[in-house]
Amino acid sequence: MTEPMIALTGIGKSYQTRDGGSYQAIRHVDLAIAAGEFVSLVGPSGCGKSTLLNMMAGFLSPSHGSITVDGAPVQGGPPESIGYMFQKDTVLPWYSVRRNIGLGPRYRGVDRAEIGRRTERLLALGRLEKFADAYPHQLSGGMRRRLALMMSLATEPTILLLDEPFGALDTHTRTSLHAELVRIRGELGQTVVLVTHDLEEAVSLSDRVVVLSGPPSTVLLDERIDIPHPRDVYSVRENEAFGRHHRAIWHVLGEQFRLVESA
Amino acid sequence: MNERVRVLAWQVVVALAVLIPWEGLTRIPWFQEHTILDPFFISRPSLILLKLWDWTFGAQRGFLWPHLLATLWATLLGFVVGTSTGYVAGLWLSQNHFLNRVLSPYIVAVNSTPRIAFVPLITMMFGLGIVSKVVTSWFVVFFVVFFNAYKGGTSIERELLDFCRTLGGSARQVTMSVRVPTAMAWTFTALPNAVSFALIGVVIAEFVGSTTGIGYLMIVSLSTLNASEMFAALTALSAVGVALVFAIQWLERRLLHWAPEFRELGA
Repeated sequence: MTEPMIALTGIGKSYQTRDGGSYQAIRHVDLAIAAGEFVSLVGPSGCGKSTLLNMMAGFLSPSHGSITVDGAPVQGGPPESIGYMFQKDTVLPWYSVRRNIGLGPRYRGVDRAEIGRRTERLLALGRLEKFADAYPHQLSGGMRRRLALMMSLATEPTILLLDEPFGALDTHTRTSLHAELVRIRGELGQTVVLVTHDLEEAVSLSDRVVVLSGPPSTVLLDERIDIPHPRDVYSVRENEAFGRHHRAIWHVLGEQFRLVESA
Repeated sequence: MNERVRVLAWQVVVALAVLIPWEGLTRIPWFQEHTILDPFFISRPSLILLKLWDWTFGAQRGFLWPHLLATLWATLLGFVVGTSTGYVAGLWLSQNHFLNRVLSPYIVAVNSTPRIAFVPLITMMFGLGIVSKVVTSWFVVFFVVFFNAYKGGTSIERELLDFCRTLGGSARQVTMSVRVPTAMAWTFTALPNAVSFALIGVVIAEFVGSTTGIGYLMIVSLSTLNASEMFAALTALSAVGVALVFAIQWLERRLLHWAPEFRELGA
């Protein structure tokens, strides 16, 4: 493997508690993600999977260890090459769909003609052409998610960090967004890190699924999913390999759930 | 549609149920002598209309306009100055934790004192002219807007700000595209209240010390014990209030078209 796209080395995170003690959320995590890989992070709640993602995005600093993204250490803010998607709705309600998509490029001082070109392309990619001049309150939940994704893509990131972006949606909408994501990544080939609590989602989309333990977290399992691309998100769950990987991961993950429960 | 007609019909009925006895009973000598239904105290709809006619197009043609204009102008000035300063201060303090902590006891203290209690002081400081009215009005409006803008500024979710940072927004850019419009939306929900408060401030200032305005007309009516003039002034004032609130609602619908939830809050 050449230089990884994202490298976490010896990451630990502790917090000061109110009574003056300290709480260790992450004990030790090493993780290397290659360019173009799709990696999912799963684990019991409170295992620090979102914390790791926030560190990659530069929102948080680790207490120990180092993070490099695209060859450069992450410090003092988000690297330019990332696009981020939150579970919470992050579209700007006072801008039209078109202006929302153009927000990132406007921030970065991209020239107007180029912003126009990118916006048109992303409107088509996100199948939002008919709603270009609509306002977010006129869109459905699934469309707002697509808009948030298009907003992230407008800065042409080579890395997508997705923090449970489909968590609040019904199964139908979620699966159709999976299909969108597979299609878009097929076209643009970004490196993706997905944090999710949905193991089926993780297995059906990823090249690798990384299982974290309950706090203080470490990596328990790093499972490579050998289901060939391009995958059809609607039928992948019927794939024999899908069941095998799902069981193997669940074997470790389920045990963690049990441990966290009884702790 | 049927429902709307019925509502309108009943609204007319309610109005008539007040106006007809008022007009009729004040003409009966027994009521005049034994109750408060005496035109000396409560006038009579026809007398009030006559007075309004006198003041506008009748015997005292044009008498009302300068007073109406004085009140309206002072209200608009107080409203504009109060909302803009309240908005800026609210947005600013919502961003600046340190300043917020320093100032908050003073804000609570001033806000807890009835604003009207400051009116004599303001009149003493700024005299009998328009300045006192505008300052009073500003003082009342400022806090209404300030608290809303402040709440708007602090209600912004961390995720939205972080998201904008990943898009490449600098602190200043994120302020302009996220904080300013959010605080603006919250400010707008306060505007119908703010305009009513602006009018209250002006009228109180006119009560206390002024030589023009609807409030001044009322104080004059009180000193001459003229109920018809009092009611005529009240009617004019209420027309001003209703017109201002409608104007604000119209403006709000245009500027907040993207936020149906805010519009409902503000209405």
